[in-house]
This record gives sequence, C-alpha cells and structure tokens, in this order.
Amino acid sequence: MDRLLRRVQTKLYIHAHRAVRGLLEGEYRSVFHGRSMDFEDLRPYVPGDEFKDIDWKATARYGSPLTKRYIASRKHTLVLVVDTGRDMAALSASGESKRDVAILAAGTIGYIAIRHGDPVALVAGTDKKSEFVPGELTESHLERILQRIQSAIRLDGARSNLAAQLAYVHRVFRRRMIVLVIGDDRELTGEEHTLVRRLAARHEMLWLSIGDADLMREEWAQREMYDVATAGTVPTFLRDNPRLRAAFDSSVTATAERSEELFESLSISSRRLTSQDSVIPGIFRLLEAHRHARR
Amino acid sequence: MAVITWWAPIAWVLASGVVVALVMLQTKHRQARSRDRLPVAHAERLTALPAYRRALAGYRALVAAFVACLVILVALSAVLTARPATVTLSTPELHNRDIVLCLDVSGSMISYDSAVLDVFDSLSTEFTGERISLVIFNASAVTYFPLTNDYDYISQQLERLGKDFQAADPSYFDGTLLGNGSSLVGDGLAACATRFDRQQDERSRSVILVTDNLVAGEQIFTLPQAAALAADRGVRVYGINPGDTTAKDYLREYSIEFEKSITDSGGAYYPLDDPAIVPSVVASIEAEQAAVLPGAPLVTRTEHPEIFILVAFGALAGLLLLAWRLKR
Repeated sequence: MDRLLRRVQTKLYIHAHRAVRGLLEGEYRSVFHGRSMDFEDLRPYVPGDEFKDIDWKATARYGSPLTKRYIASRKHTLVLVVDTGRDMAALSASGESKRDVAILAAGTIGYIAIRHGDPVALVAGTDKKSEFVPGELTESHLERILQRIQSAIRLDGARSNLAAQLAYVHRVFRRRMIVLVIGDDRELTGEEHTLVRRLAARHEMLWLSIGDADLMREEWAQREMYDVATAGTVPTFLRDNPRLRAAFDSSVTATAERSEELFESLSISSRRLTSQDSVIPGIFRLLEAHRHARR
Repeated sequence: MAVITWWAPIAWVLASGVVVALVMLQTKHRQARSRDRLPVAHAERLTALPAYRRALAGYRALVAAFVACLVILVALSAVLTARPATVTLSTPELHNRDIVLCLDVSGSMISYDSAVLDVFDSLSTEFTGERISLVIFNASAVTYFPLTNDYDYISQQLERLGKDFQAADPSYFDGTLLGNGSSLVGDGLAACATRFDRQQDERSRSVILVTDNLVAGEQIFTLPQAAALAADRGVRVYGINPGDTTAKDYLREYSIEFEKSITDSGGAYYPLDDPAIVPSVVASIEAEQAAVLPGAPLVTRTEHPEIFILVAFGALAGLLLLAWRLKR
C-alpha cells in the first residue's frame, strides 16, 4: 500500500546522505515554524537549524550545540498544488517521467511536513476538473495523496491547465497556508501572473518546476517524438540540426531566466528539478532560498 | 509522333500506384506499431522558434525538389519505355522498279517516241532508285542504254535521242534495220522483255512499249508470243498505241491484236491519238503500277529518346544528390 511513500523514505534515508535529511528537516523547521514565546525544550543542534536558536549557555554547559525548541506558534497546512494533466506524463529533462519526479518531490516535502506536524492537503487536476484532498497528519494519508497523483497523471488523461488549480486555491482557501506548486517548464501567461501574484500575497508560496525533456537531445535524435498535448509529431529530421540545437538551447535558457525573474519579482521561491536525483538537493535549496528571501 | 509500346505509361502508372500504396501501408503500419514513441510536453518550445521554421522550410524545399525529381524521372521513364517515334510511310517497291522503254522507231512513230522521251526525261529528276533502260527497235532491237540509275546519264541520253528524232538524224537508226522487214514488234518486245538483269532480286519489272503494231516482214516472235514471254518472266507490259484511232482504221486489226495480247498477258493498254496525251498516260501507268505493285507500304519508325534520356539523367543526378542531402 505505502510503496510510493516507501520510495520517498528510501530516497531520504539511504540514497541521500543522512546529513541531507537532517538538513532538510532543519530547513523546513526554521522556514515554516516561527519562534513563539513559549519555550518547549532543548535538543541537539542539527545542521540547518537557525543559529539564533542555539542556546549558547546550555551549549557551553553541555559540550555540544543545543538548540532551543519552542512550541510552534502556528500550525500550517501544506497544500500541494499538482498539475495532473497529461503534460506531466511526458518525459522530464533527465528522460524519466515528469510524474515520477513530481511524486518524489511531493512525497519528500509532504513527509517532512507531516513529521513536523503540518497536515498535507492536495489540490490536483486537469483542464476538466480540480479536486481537493483535505489535509491530514498521517503517513497513510500522504501515501493516498501520492497514489492519487500517480493514478491521475496518464498519457491518455485530460490536458493540463495549472491555471484552473491556481484559481481553485485562490477561490477556496482564505486562511494563510503553505502552497507548494508542482508544475513544469511552461511559461506562465499574463492571466496566470495576476493569479499567482494574488496567491503570493495571501499564502506562503513555493514553486517547483519539473524540467521538460530536451527536444534536441542527441541520443533521441532517431526516436519518434510527439507532443502529449496535441499528439503532433516532432519531426525526427530536424532534431540533429546543430544550428537549431543552439537556437533551442538559448531559447530554453531565456525562458528559464524569464520565469526566474517573474518568481523573484513576486517573491516566490522557485526551483527547477530535472531528475529524481535532483529532488532532495533541489528541495533543500528551495527551502534555503525561501528562508533567505523571507529575512 | 506515335508511341511504340502504348501500354508502358499505363504500366508505370499502375506500378507507381502500387508502390505509393505499399509505402503508405508501411508507414501506417509502422506508426501503429511504434508504441515506443517519446512523449514530450510543450513541443512549441521548439516548433515556435523562427530557426525551426526556417529549418523546416528548408527541409520542405528539399523534399519538394526530391519529389519533383522523382516524378520527372518516373514520367520520363514512362515516356522512354513508351518509345516515342516519328512514323514515315514509304513504298519501296516504287523505288525498286526497273523500267525498259521499248520504242518502235519506224517513221510513223517518231513524234510519239519523242513525247515519251520528254516525259521520262522530266521524270528522271524525281526518280530515286528506279532503273531505266532504253531499247529502240525497228527490224532489230538496239539497247540504247542498259538498265541504270545514273540519272544524269539517262537524262543526257534521252535528250540526245530526242534531238536526233527532231533533227531526223539517221544515226539513230544504226543497228535497227538488221532484220528481215520493219517494225517487228514481236521481236522488239521479246528483246525488251529479256533486257532485265538481277533476276533473283525482288524488283518490279515493266516494259513501256510504244508501237502501232504495223508489222512488215517475218518475225521470230509474234506479238502474243512475245507478250507471253514477258508474262513468263514476270514483266508487266504497258502498251501505248498511237495507231489505235478512227483516223487510222486500216490499222484496226493490228490494234485489236495488240490490245488482246497485252491484256491477255496481264499488261495494260493505252490507245492514243495525240502525242500531247503521253504525259497523262505515263502518269496513269505510274498510278496503275502503284496500285498493282505487291506489298504493303513500309512503315519506318524513328525513335527520339535523346532529350528524354538527358533530362532523365539530370533528374536522377538531382535525386541522388537530394537523397544524400536529406539522409545526412
């Protein structure tokens, strides 16, 4: 049953270094859990903890760094906003399915959130409908969310329309939440800019883009390729043209820069994930960037 | 312009249709089979690029040129295998003729003889391949010139004899008076009928005999015998009789004998009373010969593949070049 979450845990515990997991948790904690006035206890320092929270006197007494823990000032709900249209069933930059990368990302951050006592909710959907899974604190609930994402993203599924899910979040959630959007390389339209700006004003927003496949990748030059949205074939005969490859590369870079600028201007922390291996370092960087942006 | 293998273009069209159908079937089959196509999202990242449109336009131009070369090559192959040719009809038999002019040079016949000579003199400029011989006879026959296709020589000889006739120069009689009598028509015709050489060749042989059949003296061959001899040897006799007129009724019996022997032996007989009609008689002999001569007209077909082959080679070269460029 909980095989998807098991995979996430495996990645967190074994494949990635233990230190990374600790780092991630420390990052998450310092990002999303502000310090209340109510001191709870001391615990050993883990990398990623705020230096401010280190109890220097206790540390001096104890001999190794200790961090002060406070009773969390507020509980957050982490809302995962995931595009489950067929665009997400396509290949990612690394050649893995974008779906697998998205599930690993959602699972990683969801798992950390649950361990910190934040319930995880899901808003997913296509251009046809958006669905909402309310937040709960259990691992089995997270597993259900991941299963749902996995079964929803299919090559023969409905088309993607992330704007519909963003509009849903904007319409339904009045309370401040942590909103993590998992999308792809597509450039946002002007309409979506407005929507995202409004969402960013109300919620804590983070953005993960799953990098799309490199259409001019050399090892795929002889393979047939089709656009999942339109079913149109991307002709084989032009995909080994060196001039076109240069133009494509610079165009992709330019698009990525524009997106980055946009998110920066809306003070949304964003990160592009290219493969499953880049998920955990990517999320770590995302949280780190988010912490610095907030200060 | 005609084509020799008319069905070749149809065969090409059918073959092309089959090939196109097979290719389409194959493509469809391959598309249906290829489940291992790579699914990608946002292909417009590539397809919306101006560089992509340029590359696509270039590629399309190459493909269009390739298809054009292919179509030209197939069309020209169809044309070449259809073998276009120009058709010319020729009747070689008319140019395969041997004609012996057999002239009775007794005094009464001179004006008709010279009319016949004039006609053949003017005809000799149009002849191609025909051979003419001239035999004159009175009591004995003299070969004035043997069968030849040296038309200058023929013309020269005919003119010379014509002048001799008009000048009443008796030298033309030389050798014609050696027999026993005068106007020995039977002997004359027999002599003419044996003037043909190259018996084994398939040539049309005819004698144009100009006489009034007024025989005086003892003949070796009678006219019917001579006509039968000619018929035996496959020689067709055209008799021209200026004496067969009401003005010369005393010759009636001779005329009847003449006509009968000629027609019996499969020849043709032309009575006439005016030398001016001779050209039309000769013309009708020509026409009659054309009608009688055996064998169909020969159809000569000359093929013209040069320009098609050159263009087809050009198209083939273009095809190879473009195929190499496209494959790259």
